[in-house]
Amino acid sequence: MSEMWINMGPQHPMTHGLWNLRVKVDGELIVDADPEIGYLHRGIEKICEYRRYNEVVTLMDRTCYVAGIAWEQLYIMAAEEALNINPPPRAEYVRVLSQELQRLSSHVMWYAAYVQDIGLMTPFLYGMRDRDLILDLFQSYTGARMTYEFMRVGGVRNDVPVGFTDRCRKVMDWFDQRLPEYEKVCDNSTIFLERTKGIGVLKAADCVNDGVTGPMLRAAGVDRDLRRDRPYSVYPELDFDVAVYDAPDCYGRYRVRMEEMKQSVRIVRQVLDWLDRNPGPVLAEKVPRFVGTPSPPPGKEIYVERRGYPKGRGFSAMEEPHGEAMAYIINEGAEHPYRAKLRSPVFVNIAASKDYLVGYRVSDIPAIMGSVDICVGESDR
Amino acid sequence: MVETLYSVAHTLVVLLLGLLGPLVPGSGAYGPFLAVWLSYLVVGALVFAVSLVNVLVFIWWERKLLGRFMDRRGAMHVGYAGLLQNLADGLKLFRKQPFSPREADDLGYYFGPTAYLVISIAILGFLPISFGFSGGAVPLSLLVALALFSFAPLFIFIASWSSNNKYSLIGGMRTAAQLVAYEIPLLLSVVAVVALTGSFDLNVIVGDQAANGWFAVPLILGLIIFFIAMLAEVERIPFDLPEAEAELVEGWSTEYGGMLFAFTMLGDYVRALIGSYLIVLLFLGGWSMPWGLSSFPLSGIVFFQLKTYAVFAIFIWVRASLPRVRTDQLLQIGWKRMLPLAMVNIIWALALVVWGYPVIHWPAL
Repeated sequence: MSEMWINMGPQHPMTHGLWNLRVKVDGELIVDADPEIGYLHRGIEKICEYRRYNEVVTLMDRTCYVAGIAWEQLYIMAAEEALNINPPPRAEYVRVLSQELQRLSSHVMWYAAYVQDIGLMTPFLYGMRDRDLILDLFQSYTGARMTYEFMRVGGVRNDVPVGFTDRCRKVMDWFDQRLPEYEKVCDNSTIFLERTKGIGVLKAADCVNDGVTGPMLRAAGVDRDLRRDRPYSVYPELDFDVAVYDAPDCYGRYRVRMEEMKQSVRIVRQVLDWLDRNPGPVLAEKVPRFVGTPSPPPGKEIYVERRGYPKGRGFSAMEEPHGEAMAYIINEGAEHPYRAKLRSPVFVNIAASKDYLVGYRVSDIPAIMGSVDICVGESDR
Repeated sequence: MVETLYSVAHTLVVLLLGLLGPLVPGSGAYGPFLAVWLSYLVVGALVFAVSLVNVLVFIWWERKLLGRFMDRRGAMHVGYAGLLQNLADGLKLFRKQPFSPREADDLGYYFGPTAYLVISIAILGFLPISFGFSGGAVPLSLLVALALFSFAPLFIFIASWSSNNKYSLIGGMRTAAQLVAYEIPLLLSVVAVVALTGSFDLNVIVGDQAANGWFAVPLILGLIIFFIAMLAEVERIPFDLPEAEAELVEGWSTEYGGMLFAFTMLGDYVRALIGSYLIVLLFLGGWSMPWGLSSFPLSGIVFFQLKTYAVFAIFIWVRASLPRVRTDQLLQIGWKRMLPLAMVNIIWALALVVWGYPVIHWPAL
C-alpha cells in the first residue's frame, strides 16, 4: 500500500471534539501529521469586548466543557487585576475548592475517555460514575453541572451551602478508595502497559521548544507547576506535591494525572477544613456597579469610555487541568474590556502533535492523542 | 443413525408428499427427488432457526453480562429484562433504506457482508448440537467447519476494498494480517485433538470425550491456545483490530448501514456462536456430561447450550476486562508465543497417544 493521507476528523471517535487530524500513513506507519483546528471557533475573545465584566463569565464556561470553572477563575483573576479589586479570603478558598474539584473531575473524565480509546470499556463507566459525584457537588453550590457561572469580579456568587463540607468529605473518602482501583485496572494489565509505554514520546527539550505544558511536560520530568512556581490565589498556604514522572510517553502522562488526582483530593480536604473554621463574606464590598449590570441590547452601545472609571491591565496564569492557561485583559476605562486574550494550553499541545505522532502506528493514534487530553472548545476559543 | 435430524425431516416430508401426491396427477415420477430436496430444505430451515434464536439470545446475554461487569443493567425495557430488545433493533435496521456510497463498487459492496453472513451460517449446518442433530453429518465435519470458518476474512476484505473508504481498507488489511497471526495456532491446537481421537467427525470426537473424559483435562494447553486464537478469529476484544472503533470509526464495516450493517453484526455473533460451539465440542465434551446426566431425552441439547453460554460468558468477561492490542503485537503473540506452545501441545498429545491415551475412564454414556 502506498502512502496516503487520512482525515481523522472533524467527526471521528478519536478526536474528542471537533478537529481534524490529517495523518499520512504508509500502511500502518505514520509518516506525517497535520492537525487542523478551528471548527469550534466562536470568537470568544472578540465577544468579550462587547460584554460587561461579569457577563464574560458565561463565555468562559463555554470555553472548555470539562473544566469550565478553571477558565472562569482565569478570566476573573485577570479582570480583578485590571479593575484593581481584591476578593475576600473566603472567596479565594471557595475558588480553590472549585479548581481542585474541577481538576479531579476533568482528570477522571480524561481517564474514562482514555481507557475507552485503548479499548478498555469497563473503567470508562467506572470513571463516568465517579465523576457524577463531583458534578453533584458542583450542582449543590453553583446550581449547574457543566456551565456554572459561579465566579464574579470580586469573589464568588454565593457561599457553599450548609452541610456541604461534610458531603464533600464523603466524596473525597470515596475517591480515596476509587483512585487505587483505577490504577490497579491499568497497571495490572500487560496489554495496557504495552500500549502506552514508549508510545508518543515527547522529550523534555522538545516539550519546552514546542511550548507544551501541563501533565505532558511534567511526565517528561520537568518539575513545573504554576500553582507552586507562580503562586496565585491561596495556593501558597496549601500543602501539596507536584506530580512529576520520568517517562515522556503515554504511560508517564497517565501516572502524572493519577498522582495529580490524589493531590487534588489532599488540597480539597485542607480547603474544607479552612472553610469550616473561617466564615465570612465571599464577595468584595467595593465593586464598581457597572461590572454587574447587564449590557445594553446589541447595536445600542458598543464601547464607551467613561471618565473616572479605573484603568489598568490584568494578566493571569494558572495551572488548568490541561496545562498552563493565561489571560490578558486591557481595561481602558470603559464598561467592557478593551481587549481580552486567552492562551490555551491545548492549542499548543495539539500544534505539537506532529512531533509525537510520526513514527508510530495508526493503532497508536487514539492512545497518543488521548494522553494529550484534548478539549477542542478551549483550543479554538 | 448419525443423520438423525435428516431422518426426521425425511420422514416428515415423505409423509407430506404421500398425502399431497395423489392430488397432483403425474407427480409420482418426481416423488423421491422432491423428498430428498425438501428434506434438506427443512433441515436447513431448522438449523437456520436454531442458530438465529441462539444469536439473538447471545446478543442479549452479552448486553446483560457486560452491563453487570460495568456496574449497569444492560437492556431493560423491551420485553422481559430486555429480551426483545434485539428484535426491536433488528426491525429498526430492517426498515432502513438500503444504499451504497457513490464511489463504492456495488457488486463487492453488497456481496461482501451477505457472503460473510451466509458462509458463517453455513458452518452451523455441520456442527452437531446434540448427537446427530446437524444439517449434514459428514465424516470430515470438523475440517469442513474450520475451512469455511477461515473463508470470512476474504469476504471482509472484499467488502472493505469495495467500500472505497480508507478506514474500511485499513480494517480489511488488518483482517488479512490477523488471519496470518491466529490461523496456524488455531489449526495446530485442533491437530492435537484429532491426534487423540483419530477422527475429523465431531460426533466421534464428542463420543470419545464421553468415554475417556473431556479433552480440557489432558489438553489444557491446547484449550487455552484455541480459546485465544478463537478470540482473534471472531474478532472480539482484545483482538478486534479490524473494527477498532477508536481509530477506524467502525473498521471494515464503516460504510454499511441498515440491513447490511445488520448482516455484519449478525455475522459477528454467528461466528462467536460457532467459536463457542467449537470450544465446547472439541474440549468440553460437547453434549456429554459425566455421571450419566445427559442420558435423559433432550438433556444433551440442554447441556450443550449451557456449556456454550458459559464459554461465551468468558468471551464477554475478557471483553469487559482487556484493552485492544496493536496489529504488530497480535502478530508477536501469534508467532512468538502461541505457535511454539501449540507445537508443544501437539508433542504432548502425540506422547499421550504413544503412552496409550485413554487413561481416564469416566462412565460411558
